[in-house]
Order: sequence, then structure tokens, then C-alpha cells
Amino acid sequence: MAASTPKSHTGAAAAATGARRALVLGGNRIPFARAGGAYAHASNQDMLTAALDGLVARYGLQGERIGEVAAGAVLKHSRDFNLTRESVLGSALSPETPAYDLQQACATGLETVISLTNKIRLGQLESAIAGGVDSTSDAPIAVSDRLRRVLLDLSHAKTTGQKLAAAARIRPKDLAPAAPRTDEPRTGLSMGEHQALTTAQWGITREAQDEVALLSHQRLAAAWDAGFFDDLVTPFRGLVRDANLRADTSMEKLAKLKPAFGLSLDTPATMTAGNSTPLTDGASTVLLGSDEWAAAHDLTPLAVVVDAEAGAVDFVHGVDGLLMAPAFAVPRLLARNGLTLDDFEYVEIHEAFASTVLTTLAAWESEEFGRERLGLSGAFGKVDRARLNVHGSSLAAGHPFAATGGRIVATISKELHRRKAAEGGTPRALVSVCAAGGLGLTAILEAA
Amino acid sequence: MAPADAVTSTVVLPDVPGLAGVYARGAGASGRLAVARRLGRAPSALPPVVYAVDGVRADASRLTEYQHLLGEPASDRLPAGFVHVLAFPVATALMARTDFPLPLAGLVHLSNRVEQRAPVLLHDALDVRAWAEGLRAHRSGTQVDLVTEVRVGPSLVWRGVSTYLARGVRLGVDGAAPDEDRDEFVPPTPTGRWRLAADTGRRYAAVSGDRNPIHLTALSAKALGFPRAIAHGMYTAARALADVGAARGDAFVWSVDFAKPVLLPGTVTVRVAHDDADGFTFAGWDARSGKPYLTGTVVPYGG
Repeated sequence: MAASTPKSHTGAAAAATGARRALVLGGNRIPFARAGGAYAHASNQDMLTAALDGLVARYGLQGERIGEVAAGAVLKHSRDFNLTRESVLGSALSPETPAYDLQQACATGLETVISLTNKIRLGQLESAIAGGVDSTSDAPIAVSDRLRRVLLDLSHAKTTGQKLAAAARIRPKDLAPAAPRTDEPRTGLSMGEHQALTTAQWGITREAQDEVALLSHQRLAAAWDAGFFDDLVTPFRGLVRDANLRADTSMEKLAKLKPAFGLSLDTPATMTAGNSTPLTDGASTVLLGSDEWAAAHDLTPLAVVVDAEAGAVDFVHGVDGLLMAPAFAVPRLLARNGLTLDDFEYVEIHEAFASTVLTTLAAWESEEFGRERLGLSGAFGKVDRARLNVHGSSLAAGHPFAATGGRIVATISKELHRRKAAEGGTPRALVSVCAAGGLGLTAILEAA
Repeated sequence: MAPADAVTSTVVLPDVPGLAGVYARGAGASGRLAVARRLGRAPSALPPVVYAVDGVRADASRLTEYQHLLGEPASDRLPAGFVHVLAFPVATALMARTDFPLPLAGLVHLSNRVEQRAPVLLHDALDVRAWAEGLRAHRSGTQVDLVTEVRVGPSLVWRGVSTYLARGVRLGVDGAAPDEDRDEFVPPTPTGRWRLAADTGRRYAAVSGDRNPIHLTALSAKALGFPRAIAHGMYTAARALADVGAARGDAFVWSVDFAKPVLLPGTVTVRVAHDDADGFTFAGWDARSGKPYLTGTVVPYGG
């Protein structure tokens, strides 16, 4: 894109490329459950289908042939190679609705929104549904590599002798199941252990993290109480609210929790179960479309997906923290659109951990980071906390990995639309999601 | 490049010797050496020989297994540690000679330095030369360098120097500084952690051919004076090299000092980072005691 891109107003980035607008028209998710809770025996396909059917019911899409549905799951069984298509076939959408699976760790859900809206902007699609689902309760368990090799050899064996020879190689310890890895494959450290290093590097305190967690619960509870989620969430399996939400939590309660990560560092451990996201089950969907399709279906455009930027950091060699990619992607994204942090009425930073939000903000506020890592003349900028995660985020709602992007996009799109209707103007939102593998994905939305 | 001694003879072996046979011969030689030492007839100089094996080729499936185990990409380039696995048995065979002055059984691998001067590919025919040099005193015994060179055609592509210590053996040879002061190790910020399963030694033995009993089972290690099986030093060094990844480039020098054996199963906290202007440094240590297992560098080869 040309460096001379004008300062963005509604759809300016799209206008600069000659592309049309891609709209967020609505969303639907199921309440998020704690692992082993209400959805303990529901599969990824069960939950994604439920979220899709809720969307279909809410927007009258029964039998509708949607341009394309894209969704994914982070913890996915190999038999679910067509998870999204199978969910579509099980839903009330037309069976002629195409679908594809996508996976980008915790950025999966946001990436489905970005890639589908890009197709809409290019005129390849008129309508689309983005989504994501994850179950840590129903996670796939694989057999050990040795047993897998024996079983494969066994299936290729032709004679009884070959079969016996293959079977004889099985040892008792080969029968132990292999649970999905949660550690970073290249470092052997869990995400929490990585973030504990980043937390220590930026000197983030326990109290600051607990404050972020408390605010997340208070704001999500307030949004539920105000009925904000009534047209964004469909009850499932008896759950009507996010099960992780603790409306009555307090700084005192959060302060009592024992640290869970960073226990072997030479700085005090500050990350607890209270200021880290819990393992969660859930699914979310977002309805997307062109202006023409929205008008033809009598749907109200909520927000425009303006632009997006992915990033990645070299956490393997300790250059940056595992979850710090958005700290680099956002400055690039805003520079391309001629915007600063002050131009956003809303900033959504996925709360993988309370300290992920705080280390990202600290990096942006740091003169040194701005100069040396971002190549700016000083600090990148400061986020007004009143604009940050206004309806709570993952610490309170929970974080079913691939479902988080859809939750954020649907929530903030509704809020942008509400704000514009109430106060006029074209409010903007910045969305930032960190992900395993040192990845980060960020996007700009504005009220439609 | 040639061994230090002027008068040498070259022993051409038909093939890379199997390490199991070499160890058995070495054990016998070590026993005879102990007897000879008591009689005052033990050799006190290195045999002036070069061992040679020509046309060594890597096996694709063994290469794949090595790469999977160490976390290297399954490229057709041989990891520097895999070239060591292919070539070093030639040097080990030399150490098992009856006129080798140090007992093969019980030698401690102190340090290792590999110059990867150019990429070595799967189909390359490797000409291996190995000799011993630098017999010298160490504060707790006698140390020696085993030099292994690998050529593809006329070009020297890989050169390894493996330094071993025979603890308690005093040959009256001159030493380098007998008590080189080690800098006190201060654990840095970790970048990762290796959780080494109990079968780590057996799995590396399978791809390297080095089935020294100290690496295989707790029982066989106990018989040789270790509380449990210990990881191969070159396994840990090769893990560190794999962690450096593609940033090591085509030609590099990979050096490691082994401070303490890693008991299996065990956890090694590591830092592998571009901490030095010249290139990467790495360290593996015990998070509880703060004591290092290994330290080293991977820097560009200067030519």
C-alpha cells in the first residue's frame, strides 16, 4: 500500500485500494464454560454447530446459502479435517454453503474474520460467517509415536508373520496416551512460563495484574446485567452466562491466590489463576457481508473491518516475549492507516494473562522500546484505560482459544454501532490478539 | 592439515568401525594398560598414527531419526552433530589401541569444538581422518585432543576437536595451565527448558551408535559409578545447536564445554541467544542449584 494513504475515515483504507466495504452484521456465541464444566462431553463440532444455529436463528438464515464459512479450532483431532464444513452440514444453513478450516493458534478466530472480509472487499463473496471453537475438556489424545508406527506397519503387513513381527514390537510403555502439548515446541516452556519472563522483564506488579482481572470481571458482569449480550449469546447445555465470570470477586480475593507461573525466577512470582485465563470450552461466530447483501437481507451494518496486520517475534532466542508480537504489529498497522492510539475510542487487547495487556501497554509507553525496537522518535503512545476492554475480556469470559476472536469482534462491533447511534461520528476500535508461536494479529474496525 | 607429529603412519580402515566392538577392545586395552602401568611399562606418548576411512556415506533413515530426536529440520544437509556421529568412531578406534596411553573406559568428555566449514549433504562421500594430539596434564589427570577431519573431495568441510580427560592418570607430561580458573557461572534469564526422559540416552544411542552403558540404564550406569544414567554430552550440545537454528549459517564454529553430567530423567534450563556480538552463546543449567551442565558458543566460521 502506498505510503501516502490518507488519514482513515470510514473505509478510507478500502477506498484507497479501490475495494468495497466489508461489514460486521452480527454475531452469536454460546456462553463460555470452564473446562470439565457444562460442555465437558460436547465436541468441537457440537459447539460450533450450536453457535452457527444460534446465528441462523437470530438473523433468519435458515436454508440460506452463505458465500463461505471459515472457522477453526486450536486443539483439533485429525478426524475433524473438515470441522467447519461438517458443522455447516449439521446446521440449518443451506447444505450448499461452502466452508473451510483455518488455524492460527489463538488468533484463529480473528484471522477467519480478516480473511473472509478480504474476500468480501475483493467482491469474491457477498456474505460470510467467521468462527472458532475450542474444547479443552474434549481435547484429542493421540497414541505414542512408537505405537503409531507399529500400528501403521501392522496395517501395511500382508502375512501373518509380518503382522506378528509388528505386534511383537509393542511395549507396555508405548500404550501411554500422548495428550496435546501446551508447551511451546521449541522452548519447552508453557505459555504462562514464557509470560512470567516477560512480566519480570517489564516489572509488572501483582497488584496491577489483579486490578486488570478485577476490572475484567466487573465490566463483563455489568455488560451481562445490562443485557448487552442478550443478542450476542445463545444459551447452551443449561449455561446462560459465561461460567468463569465472578461478579463478586475483589482485590482481597484475588490477592489470596497463590502464584502459578514464574516460580523459579529470581523475581517474585506474580501470575496466579486469577490473573491468568482459565482453560475454557466454547464457540463463537460472526456474520459478515457486503452493503448490498446486508440491505437485501434487511440487516443493520454494525462495523466495517478496515485493515489488519499480523506480527511475529523471535521468542525462541529470548529477543522478545512470546506474546509481544502485537506490540510490533499495531504500530505498523496504525502507521499504514495514518492513525495514532488517540484516534481509537476502543482498544481491545485479548487478556491471555492480565500481564499480557500490561506488558503490551508498557512497551508502547516506553521511550526506549519506541526508539530502539519500533524505530520511532519516542514512545509509541498511551492507551486511555477507560477505552480498554470496556465490556471485560478473556480473564472474565474465559478463553476457548479459537473462539476468542469472534467474541471480541462481535462484542466491539455492537458497541461501535451503539456508540455511533448515541453520539454520532465514526468511532474506531483497535483489536489485538496474541498467540502461541510468538504470533500476534491486530485489526482496525470502525462503526458502519 | 596434518597431525602434529612429523613421523606418522596412516592406518586405512575398510569402514567406520562399530562402537560396540571398539568399546569391547577398549575395555580390554584399558585393563592391560592398568597392569602395564603398575609394571612401569605403560606407554606415555600418543601413537603416531592417523586412522582413515574413505567414502563414508550417511544413511537417510538414520539421518531422519537423528534430526527428529535433536529437533533439527529434516533437511538433506547433515547437522554438524550428525557428522560427528558418522566420523568420531574412527577416532574412538584409535583410542582403543593397546599403545594409546589413556584408558578408553572412563574417559570424560571435557569439551568439543567443531568447525563446519561448508555444508555436508546426504549424498556426499566423506573421507575421514582421525588422530590424537595435545597429550597434556590437567588438574585432575591427563587430557588429550582427538582430531577428526572430514573431506568431500579435496575440501576440508568439517573439523572436530574432542577433548577428553583420564581422571587420576599422571603421565608426567607437561600441562597447559593445570588449573584454569573457570568464571563463576551466573544463571542468565532462561529461553527454554529441556525435559529429558529416562530413555534419552537409549534414544541417542540408537541414532549415534554410542551404546556406552553409562548412558543406557540406571543399573548399567550404577555399575560404572553414576547414580543414574547420564545424557550423552554430544546430545545436549546438539540440542543447543538445533535451538540456534538456521541463524547459525552455512559455516560456523560450534564449541561446548561440559561442566557436569545430566542425570536422566532430568530437566535442563537453557538459554540460547544472540548474546555475543560474534554470534550465539548457549548454556544449560540446573535451575535448583544454579550449577551449569554445559556452556558454549555458535559463531560464524572465519575461514
